[in-house]
Amino acid sequence: MAIWLVLVRKEVVEALRSMKAVWLPLVFILLGAMQPITSYYMPEILKHAGNMPEGSIIQIPVPSAGEVLAQTLSQYGTLGLLIVALAFMGMISSEINSGTASFTLVKPVGRTSFFLSKWAAALLLVWLSFAAGFGASWYYTVLLIGAPDAGAVVQGFLLYGLWLSFVVTLTLLFSSLLRSPAGAAFASLGTAAVLAVASSLFPHAWQPGLLAGIAAEAVQAAANPKATAVVMITAAATALAAVLACLSMKRKALP
Amino acid sequence: MNELLCVTGLKRTFGARAAVEGIDMSIKEGRCVALLGPNGAGKTTTIRMLTGLLPPTSGTIKFRGEGMEDDFRRHIGYLPQAPVYYGWMSGRELLVHAGRLCGLSAAAAEARAAEMLERVGLSDAARRRVGGYSGGMKQRLGIAQALVHRPRLVIMDEPVSALDPIGRREVLALMRELKEETTVLFSTHVLHDAESVCDDVIIMADGRVAAAGAVEELRSRYRQPIIELRVEEDARSVAWADEMADGRRKLPHVDSAEHRDGSLRFAVDDLDAARIALMQELVREGVKAARLEAGFSTLEDLFLKVVEGRGNLARTRS
Ligand SMILES: Nc1ncnc2c1ncn2[C@@H]1O[C@H](COP(=O)(O)OP(=O)(O)OP(=O)(O)O)[C@@H](O)[C@H]1O
Ligand SMILES: [Mg+2]
Repeated sequence: MAIWLVLVRKEVVEALRSMKAVWLPLVFILLGAMQPITSYYMPEILKHAGNMPEGSIIQIPVPSAGEVLAQTLSQYGTLGLLIVALAFMGMISSEINSGTASFTLVKPVGRTSFFLSKWAAALLLVWLSFAAGFGASWYYTVLLIGAPDAGAVVQGFLLYGLWLSFVVTLTLLFSSLLRSPAGAAFASLGTAAVLAVASSLFPHAWQPGLLAGIAAEAVQAAANPKATAVVMITAAATALAAVLACLSMKRKALP
Repeated sequence: MNELLCVTGLKRTFGARAAVEGIDMSIKEGRCVALLGPNGAGKTTTIRMLTGLLPPTSGTIKFRGEGMEDDFRRHIGYLPQAPVYYGWMSGRELLVHAGRLCGLSAAAAEARAAEMLERVGLSDAARRRVGGYSGGMKQRLGIAQALVHRPRLVIMDEPVSALDPIGRREVLALMRELKEETTVLFSTHVLHDAESVCDDVIIMADGRVAAAGAVEELRSRYRQPIIELRVEEDARSVAWADEMADGRRKLPHVDSAEHRDGSLRFAVDDLDAARIALMQELVREGVKAARLEAGFSTLEDLFLKVVEGRGNLARTRS
């Protein structure tokens, strides 16, 4: 445990020094704040865009606060996931390739601890970034559009956070399995995309891909009866991915 | 003397290729052991298995020292062939981190880090980022991080190969100090380095142990009388030398003859008898000798024989 904390501390310091702990929250805040702002100003923007026939009446309803937050989540579902995968794709493989993993693992450090420290640091960073970004979105929504139901927002936040955690864990799993960081990003984004597409094609098959949609419904205060089961399934899938990553680390030959 | 490490039947294959083909060796506490072998002999592969980085295909590695029943890695320090460290840490931070990973408290790790930086001469660079260190500085940092937790066995993979002559001398001096404190295993392809610091040598070639033992013991075990003869460049002498080297011409007491570095080198069974036979032959054939030297083969000869014979020394002996 003491050694695990030393490893986590190293990961956190590294994230700060490499500025990852700065730009990841910034990207999330940018994506989050943009959604309510563009929704609010969209009618204005269109009005000034010109090339509309004189006298035509523009009727774009400003979306509700819940809708704006759901749109924010869908932004995170595309650009957000991409950024997360890029940020963590080399967390394990590049340490193995460069030989710094060998530096750590000839010391009396378990390979499980090694993985768990990276996992913890990645989750911490992602949850902080997501909280900052979603918080910014909430703030501007309240400011410009109206106050959504706070309980619903928090519930959506937690549900979506779990989906992000699942994708981060997948990225780390592939980072431990594949030599190439780009391969890990591609594999984890691909898996997430397949699950997301499957969730709209087969809405009755319970799998983690449903979670993003359930979170979007939750912020609009629409409860989904499948929520509890999908949360359990996603948590189990996340744990399974972590266990697989530990197993792959255990049997790995290091340079 | 206690046995610290015992390796039996250690083997590792990559695909169809065997890098290490079943080696046995043992290291006694307090000895300095050189793992000597040409490029590709399997030294690094062996060392990676000893440090637990590479799982062996088969064979066993046992650390037997007293109090080593827990995680053996607590008791070894490892310097890789091409060390890479976190470039964003400073030298001091890296050593503190290494110490803490080995279970030292924060205060103890700080103290040891300062001590080790001093010892390897990096105190002035302690606050600089490791990413900006030169190759020689990285090597010295590597030695410091291998020693920070006072290991019982220090394993170094080619500690001096990448250094300039001065750095080489410094590191060899450091190793001589080190062997007074702990057990050291290091690999090298330079015989001279091995002879100048170690007590025992393990000669590897083609993934096998070709010869192993204390330096003195090996020297006497494989000692063979030899005569070296350099002849003038005239046609008659050169023709005679070629006939000797080809084996078309034979002499009593001479087992073999070969060209080496512009001289003829005879392996003989009886130095005095062979010398007389050779000198009589020179007079009889009118060969002009430029220089004649009688002596015994060195470890260098043994090493070259092993390397050129591709490790079949062990097979013919056993
Ligand atoms: N990961 C690997 N995949 C395939 N072959 C390998 C691998 N690692 C080592 N080998 C092969 O195993 C053999 C032994 O390599 P090793 O690195 O142990 O040699 P070495 O004695 O350390 O040589 P050097 O003096 O050049 O460092 C070589 O033929 C090498 O090509
Ligand atoms: Mg090597």
